[in-house]
Amino acid sequence: WEIHLDLMLNCSLTRANGELLNFSSPARPSFGKKQLPSIPKNAVPVTKPASPAATAQLANGTHASYGPFYLEYSLLAEFTLVIKQKLPGIYVQPSYKSALMWFGVIFIRHGLYQDGVFKFTVYIPDNYPDGECPRVVFDIPVFHPLVDPVSGELDVRRAFTKWRRNHNHIWQVLMYARTVFYKINTMEPLNPEAAVLYDKDVQLFKSKVVDSVKLCNSHLFDQPKMDDPYAISFSSWNPAIHDEAKERMFTHKRRPEDHQKGLQVSGLSWVKPGSTQPFSKDDNPPQS
Amino acid sequence: MEWMSWLSRLTPRGPGGRSSRNVASSSPCTADPETCLMVFENHWRQLSWVLEQQEPSGCSDDLTAVRNHTDQMLCLLAEERPGEVGEGPPGTLTSSTVPPVGPILGLVVTENVLERVVQWHLRRGLDPDSQGALLKLFEMLIGQSQQPLLQHKAVLQPLLGLLGACAEPQLGCPPSLENSLVLLLNQICVSMARAPAVLELLFRSAPVQHGPTNLLIFSLLVPFIHRDGAIGQQARDALLLVMATSASNQGVARYIAENSYFCPVLATGLSALYSSLPRKIEVRGDDWHALRREDWMGVSSLVLFMNSLEFCNAVIQVAHPLVRSQLVDYVHNGFLVPVMGPALHKSSVDEMIASTAYLDLFLRSVTETALLKTFLRFILMHRHDNDTILDTLLTRVSSNSRLCMVSLSLFRTLLSLNCEDLMLQLVLRYLLPCTHVMLSQRRAVRDTDLYGKSADKFLSLIPECCRLSVLPSAEREEEPAFWGKVLNSPSSESPVHPKPSTPSRLALFMRQQSTALPFTPSPTETVPSSPRGGPSTPLSPDSPMHPVPEGLDWESGYLEYLRDARRGVELCSWACRNWSAPYDGEDPSPNTAPLLPPPPTSNPSLAMFPEHFSFQQGGGEAVERLISELLDGAGPGEGGQQGPGEGGQQGPGDSNGQGISIEAFTQELRELEERVRERSRGVGDPDSEEPLPPSPLDSDLIGNGAGAGVEPKVVGSAVGLCSPARPLGQPSAQPYTGPFMVVLFAKLENMLQNSLYVNILLTGILCQLACYPQPLLRSFLLNTNMVFQPSVKSLIQVLGSVKNRIEVFAASHEDFPAMLRKAQRYLVARGKVDWADSSPMGVPTLRRSDSLVKSRKPSLGDLIMRHTNSPTRARHAAQLALAHVRDGGQSLHSALFRGGTGGGASGLEKQVEALRVKNAVYCAVIFSEFLKELAALAQEHAVSMPFLQKTRERGGGRQG
Repeated sequence: WEIHLDLMLNCSLTRANGELLNFSSPARPSFGKKQLPSIPKNAVPVTKPASPAATAQLANGTHASYGPFYLEYSLLAEFTLVIKQKLPGIYVQPSYKSALMWFGVIFIRHGLYQDGVFKFTVYIPDNYPDGECPRVVFDIPVFHPLVDPVSGELDVRRAFTKWRRNHNHIWQVLMYARTVFYKINTMEPLNPEAAVLYDKDVQLFKSKVVDSVKLCNSHLFDQPKMDDPYAISFSSWNPAIHDEAKERMFTHKRRPEDHQKGLQVSGLSWVKPGSTQPFSKDDNPPQS
Repeated sequence: MEWMSWLSRLTPRGPGGRSSRNVASSSPCTADPETCLMVFENHWRQLSWVLEQQEPSGCSDDLTAVRNHTDQMLCLLAEERPGEVGEGPPGTLTSSTVPPVGPILGLVVTENVLERVVQWHLRRGLDPDSQGALLKLFEMLIGQSQQPLLQHKAVLQPLLGLLGACAEPQLGCPPSLENSLVLLLNQICVSMARAPAVLELLFRSAPVQHGPTNLLIFSLLVPFIHRDGAIGQQARDALLLVMATSASNQGVARYIAENSYFCPVLATGLSALYSSLPRKIEVRGDDWHALRREDWMGVSSLVLFMNSLEFCNAVIQVAHPLVRSQLVDYVHNGFLVPVMGPALHKSSVDEMIASTAYLDLFLRSVTETALLKTFLRFILMHRHDNDTILDTLLTRVSSNSRLCMVSLSLFRTLLSLNCEDLMLQLVLRYLLPCTHVMLSQRRAVRDTDLYGKSADKFLSLIPECCRLSVLPSAEREEEPAFWGKVLNSPSSESPVHPKPSTPSRLALFMRQQSTALPFTPSPTETVPSSPRGGPSTPLSPDSPMHPVPEGLDWESGYLEYLRDARRGVELCSWACRNWSAPYDGEDPSPNTAPLLPPPPTSNPSLAMFPEHFSFQQGGGEAVERLISELLDGAGPGEGGQQGPGEGGQQGPGDSNGQGISIEAFTQELRELEERVRERSRGVGDPDSEEPLPPSPLDSDLIGNGAGAGVEPKVVGSAVGLCSPARPLGQPSAQPYTGPFMVVLFAKLENMLQNSLYVNILLTGILCQLACYPQPLLRSFLLNTNMVFQPSVKSLIQVLGSVKNRIEVFAASHEDFPAMLRKAQRYLVARGKVDWADSSPMGVPTLRRSDSLVKSRKPSLGDLIMRHTNSPTRARHAAQLALAHVRDGGQSLHSALFRGGTGGGASGLEKQVEALRVKNAVYCAVIFSEFLKELAALAQEHAVSMPFLQKTRERGGGRQG
């Protein structure tokens, strides 16, 4: 079942990724995909500057207008890094409405929280990457020393006391969100009860965790908390829909978007791996 | 399958056409096969009586009688249907596989009718009239027969006898019969393609006096390979059918490769045809830099050449690997090295321009990987006077003329191949040691522009004086009608006929302006609906995604640049997915970097025009010598001196090619054939492992391309991996990013003085380079935070210096803003023309890689079929388009003249000054756009996903 979920989600994420990328590159004439409208004359200008840096540029009157592209592309680049990391059991997907809000789900495959499937949302500060670290909030407050029992927010800041651009990346936050379920830390807890129980009465802690996991999983098929087209939603397996999607996923080979047939001739290489000499690869057909 | 189009051209004569013809004509006969047989027997009785006359009298009555009877009989034979499969005795092998022969064919076989008829003619002495009649009869018979005939010796033998007569020197084939002969040969090959067993028969059942029959067929067809018109096409089709049929037949392939002179003729024929190409290309506009279809369709000698090159390409596509590799070798040794090499090194600039443009055209036309490889090997490895072709081409980029543009265009073509070997030689090997970066920076090689810092840096270099909006609002209103028209073409784009997908930056100007106008958005720009069918609201205003301030026209342009950059990066990294290494500063290791040629110590452009024209001789191998001899005999003479002058007079439309006639060439071929035959006899048993022909691959590898012809001694002996031929210059400690980067940067630094068209080509090439995903190259070009060694100039430094120069220039010309605006409008107009280029009008303008890629796509055959446009019409259209812009290029000129130097200057000085101003203003426009392109590329690299490498996975699997 989990594998199916994994697959489904992965599938939808793959698609979502495509759409996200597409989203930022709107002018491509493709069908049925999201596209950015042409810069409308009547677009409501954003009142809130995207970042201090952008403000500074605005003040300079130089290349201010490119600021938004930087933010959007930075987040896209972060998302690309997440995908490249291939984090085990973690899936995220930026929301439709804002690149600063990502939906995610995490599958815990062993340990105390085994079989837990926790949905969460990542909130990225709008002065990224110069602001605080991103916040991670679980849809349902998981019983965990570092998760606020009321708001469901994970204490991320303890791991990223100062968010340093170029060094800190969102995939690290996601990785951290996974690690807390395998390696329990009770120092300065957001949920003191959980912390105390873990230290004093592990058995009770365990049973509370099991209850919490059950509770989370029982709400898995609920409507997404956020009304967003890209919010992650679970549904039971429906062969009519999911079989085909699964099939497509397995057979999918990524190609350039407007890949043309004739392009096959390019990408030539006769360099033998490990060599730096041209034409070092021997691909001559055997002479009779 | 491209060769399918070749084969499909034969269909009118193929199965479909044949059967339909026969359905109509054969019904009365087949209604009564017995009557047909009786009629046939009756004819045969009378005919055989004539044939048996002891003394063949010259009597024309006999001849007439024989002809009449033969006509009747062969028609009956052609229309006879094979017996029913079930008729034969059940269980026998033959009846279950091959239908039994019809009674007439049976009679023909038992009585040996055809052999006797042909022999009678031959004994009598074949006059052209009878010869033609026989050729036509056989052609009819083979083309229309209802049953397979060629597997019967009684048909095949006389046919070969007749063909043998056509091949005899004393009789030969009169020019008037050539069409019939080729048609017959074509029919034979079509039948053979349908029944591959015939191929085997043709090669086995050889009449003694003519040697191997395939040689006969080849020697008859090959002289027509390079022929113009339908006859040449039929011969090439026929040969291609043989190639395709024999693709899986090792014996036949070996025979073609070793005993026929097909490959040498084909390849060296290119040399002969090349020698008749115009040596000077009549230049139309100052933007001309590459041969397009419209340019060469009118030049018959070039059409001939391209037909043959196309044929080579097709043969390589369908032929057996043995034939393929031999042909590829001959193209290298018989055309590229002895002809293309010297041609590229001619001393006159006109000839250099022409040969470079030809090479560019050839590279764009070749589609088969094996053939491309040979061209690339020639360019990268072959040494002509100690320099590789690549070296030579590189020096010409620095020249200050059209030669530079043509060379840039060639490099654009080369870069579009995404070839690892090329990139290694051109750039990567110089970057591999990582000596160009500070030691502490090496780890940063793989960094991408995560936060847009590099992009920001590039954009910050846009000179202040260029940051004005395209048009003041007052002027906008004057334009809508024109731009309305313009807008229609892109928005009516259909998926079937895509416009140039990545419009050049010239087209961008147009779109920037159009988006500045209150037009209804085109369909592709409409607001998307949400994926769940929700309300199709635009992005919520509080979304951080697109908070674009109002009133700036450039953003839409920047979005387009981002889009183009994404496409460019994606296509390039896809194309490079099978490279041997990622080139990320670690793999290949900096320590394994190859020894590099040192930077040139002298100005390369001084030594770039060697006075040299001679065919290379003495490759050390018999076949190669034969080819050389052939070429010497056939070519325009050793000195080739009569050529340039006359060739220079020729316009591209001149159909009268220089050099040898094809007839003379085919004469030479016959002699070559003889010699090849002798040679192979000398070699003896074809199974003995005598390597023939010489593989250029081997000699290149051994001598590392030290030029087999130039230094014959080097060939045999293995020398070091790096050529000692170059004088050793600076110590290798001095970081050197290679001649390509050096010359490009030098040219870029000089941007203010370059012509508009040079700048467009130059920046286009740099953008092509910046699309490559290899971190070494990407960081070198796009990472503006990298710290390089002091001696290494970075792109950002060069751009900074150009920026300063533009600003100095702008400050010294008070009318700069007005001039800039005019230049922009002119370019917008050009962009419009550029866009229209994809329409059937075919306007010649500057094109960027995208259209280049496209021009590679269709097969040459395809291209030839395409409607061609007269350049005159195209030019006319361009003028019309430009006429809409009142203050276009011409008035820019006049405006610049007004602002010229003081009154004392002479006319010439004024002109020079005007040109200087014009170039600078255009430069300012191009420079700003270039920076946006680079910024967009830096951003897109950060968000691009790598493609999986097939080969690496496979390699891992093998180990495991």
